Amino acid sequence: MLLASGLSVSLGRRPVLSDVAFEAQPGQITAIVGPNGSGKTTLLRMLTGDLAGQGAISLDGDTPATMAPRALAQRRAVLPQATAVGFPFTLREIVRMGHEAGHAAHRPGIVDEAVAEVGLSRKIDGFFHDMSGGEQARGHLARVRAQVWEPMRDGRPSWLFVDEPVAALDIGHQLQVMTLLRRFADAGGGVVAVMHDLNLTAMHADRMVLMDGGRIVAAGRPTEVMTDPLLSSAYRCRLCVNTAPPKGIWLLPQAAALA
Amino acid sequence: MSRLLLATALALLPLTAAAQDRVLSIGGSVSEIVYALGQEGRLVGRDTTSTYPAAVEALPDVGYMRALSPEGVLSVSPDLILMEAGAGPAETLATLEGAGVKIVTIPGADSPEGVEAKVQAVAAALGQEARGAELAARIEAETAAALATVAAQPGPKPRVLFVLGNSGGRLTGAGSDTSAAAMIALAGGVNAIEGFAGYKALTDEAVAAAAPDIILAMESSEGPGMPGDDPLYAHAALAATPAGQAKRVVRMPGMFLLGFGPRTPEAILALNAALYAKGN
Amino acid sequence: MATAAIAAAPATAVTAPRLKVGAVTAGLALILLTTAAASLSLGASGLLPWELFSRDLSPAERAILLDIRLPRLLLGALVGASLAVSGALMQGLFRNPLADPGLVGVGAGAGLGAVVAIVLGGLMPAAIHAATGMYLVPLFAFFGGWATTLILYRVASLRGQTSIATMLLAGIVLGALAGAATGVLVYLADDNQLRDLTFWGLGSLAGANWTKLAAAAPILIAGLALSPLLARGLNAMALGEGVARHLGVPVEGVKRGAILIVAAMTGASVAVSGGIGFVGIVVPHILRLAIGPDHRSLLPTAALFGAALLIAADTVSRLVVSPAELPIGIIMALIGAPVFLWILLARRATMEI
Repeated sequence: MLLASGLSVSLGRRPVLSDVAFEAQPGQITAIVGPNGSGKTTLLRMLTGDLAGQGAISLDGDTPATMAPRALAQRRAVLPQATAVGFPFTLREIVRMGHEAGHAAHRPGIVDEAVAEVGLSRKIDGFFHDMSGGEQARGHLARVRAQVWEPMRDGRPSWLFVDEPVAALDIGHQLQVMTLLRRFADAGGGVVAVMHDLNLTAMHADRMVLMDGGRIVAAGRPTEVMTDPLLSSAYRCRLCVNTAPPKGIWLLPQAAALA
Repeated sequence: MSRLLLATALALLPLTAAAQDRVLSIGGSVSEIVYALGQEGRLVGRDTTSTYPAAVEALPDVGYMRALSPEGVLSVSPDLILMEAGAGPAETLATLEGAGVKIVTIPGADSPEGVEAKVQAVAAALGQEARGAELAARIEAETAAALATVAAQPGPKPRVLFVLGNSGGRLTGAGSDTSAAAMIALAGGVNAIEGFAGYKALTDEAVAAAAPDIILAMESSEGPGMPGDDPLYAHAALAATPAGQAKRVVRMPGMFLLGFGPRTPEAILALNAALYAKGN
Repeated sequence: MATAAIAAAPATAVTAPRLKVGAVTAGLALILLTTAAASLSLGASGLLPWELFSRDLSPAERAILLDIRLPRLLLGALVGASLAVSGALMQGLFRNPLADPGLVGVGAGAGLGAVVAIVLGGLMPAAIHAATGMYLVPLFAFFGGWATTLILYRVASLRGQTSIATMLLAGIVLGALAGAATGVLVYLADDNQLRDLTFWGLGSLAGANWTKLAAAAPILIAGLALSPLLARGLNAMALGEGVARHLGVPVEGVKRGAILIVAAMTGASVAVSGGIGFVGIVVPHILRLAIGPDHRSLLPTAALFGAALLIAADTVSRLVVSPAELPIGIIMALIGAPVFLWILLARRATMEI
């Protein structure tokens, strides 16, 4: 499992994260939510080792910061919010970069499968830069998916860290991506996702972490975190949570700014 | 006795001729001296700066004297290279020597005595010491005559500004320690630029302070980049000088004027005449 | 009906126009062999290589084949390969197809070194001349380029991290500074030194000999041999440094390796051949169009292509005004610029369709 404690980081004198403790279980989708500037992406960047700060992080017993880059790349993949591609690579070449980063030997077929999973098979040999924004986002998802292709490897879980994976997507593809993450978790992998869409999160996440002002203000199952007072306080507006059959809960914004 | 001498000479001749029958001349004044010695029949090639006499231009041109390429030089199969000081690059010379070609460096000169030394060096390399001594003596005599003419000129010495180039209104002038300054002095003028050595860009103030009576430049036909007269007169600082006011520009072929070869006495006289001409 | 049309549309697969890497590599190898043979056979003297075996050659003729054309061919091949590979490395590092080794200050530094040697060479102590002999200019060019790059690298690095953007900006500043220093020296230079400077700037392989080859070859061969180790890292860097780190690439090591290899190869190339431009930008660009940007195939093919191109340009340079010689930089621009323009125009047409 992923365990972190005492995470603190400052930009200049402004604390961005203050003494955050975080945990995520393999086999689950753990969603980090919260208003803009609450520290979601900073937390994710600390968990992936991109950002140095105070605190301790353990990824299934290992410290990411001290692991060899290749070894770490075989245990976890990271999907940032946006990734620009510098040269005219094809989708296949991009996805293969991910696959080769996670696997010492290139296994043909996995790249095609990962691309098929995000529904881009017919563009696999086309230029990456010719694809639409949504297609590029799914292309990068296929890349990180190919990097940690086996959700469980040598008896250890693989991890996917994704930052707003559905931001550029229409509703159909949002569901496609969440289903992909769900299957990865169901097969034993761990997923940590920064999310903006609370309804989608409530539907797919096993655990939710609500952040505000660089701290975790609530963590638990979606039904525990998605409550009117918690959300209204964090997002500074009046929000009303409802339930919908068969198991989902959904959210209805009520009014603008709450003081 | 005379028969014996002739026989000896005939016996020696093929030896020297065989050793140095294919001569490559690098440097304009060196080529002129080879012609003045009557040895042009032995030339197999020349460099880009060798343009006088006109016949020399019919020979293959192996390139600019400071940027020679080894195969280009070897392609004319020289067995002797007469090379004015400053020719190169050094790597090429090393390769040529490695290939077994004899290279004789001819000292540079910016004085009449230097010309005589050049002549003697070329003549020695070609095995023509007698003709060399004869040519050197002739040049010495001509120089003495020319200098006597110069000394006989009445009146104050004119101030002369040598303009090497005029790019974008920036004049390049000749300071001290240049062949232009040497020629101006020999021909009875005063170099208008003092205070630096070599050819340098001149500021407008330096041009005004130089106050030349005459502007000396190379003939436009000598190559691209040489200024015509009109841009010189359009140059504000230059136009304000005595030379600019009187529109006195003297132009001469570059090799003739600055080459320091057999034509130097002639050049001294020509320049002297131009400087002291009763112009407008 | 409408549904059927929509379902049918996505059936056609999209394919990027690419040539097979194997075919391109084989083709370039063949071109390299052909140009090498031409370079050995063509020259002002009209000698042919097999005359070495078919008849007795004079010492001068032997020298033309063995001490002039052969080292010149080998030096040209190594310099061409190094310039093309350096260009590809820089472009990968900066994620920009227009980047060239000049961006890390090698060009400006080497130029300053050469100018110092040409203009101030006469003022240097006799001991330096005794030690360097005729190789004062190449040595100064090499150390000038190398020193500038190291300074830039220090400026752009903080706590083990190198900022590519800082390096680019500092490179421009340092380039301007080196240019100013060069300008001062050019002002001090006499007429003959100015001519030497001009010819140096235009580049030439005419000074090639076994000594220069022996000095430059180890550096160039080491750089060419080490560069493929950076290929995977540079591919990942195309997605940004952050993503490259996620992909397990030791990003700082790749940056350091690329900068040092480029500085060494460019410094050594410039030192032995003067300023030869164009190879570093045109060769990788054409190859990216032909076989794609994967550095694992780009770097070796760039080496082959760069070597062939420089040998071809050098052969032309010594034939057009034979027995004199045109500086190779002029030939490179004359051949390269129209071809490059044509490729850009042709590509623009297909992009608009």
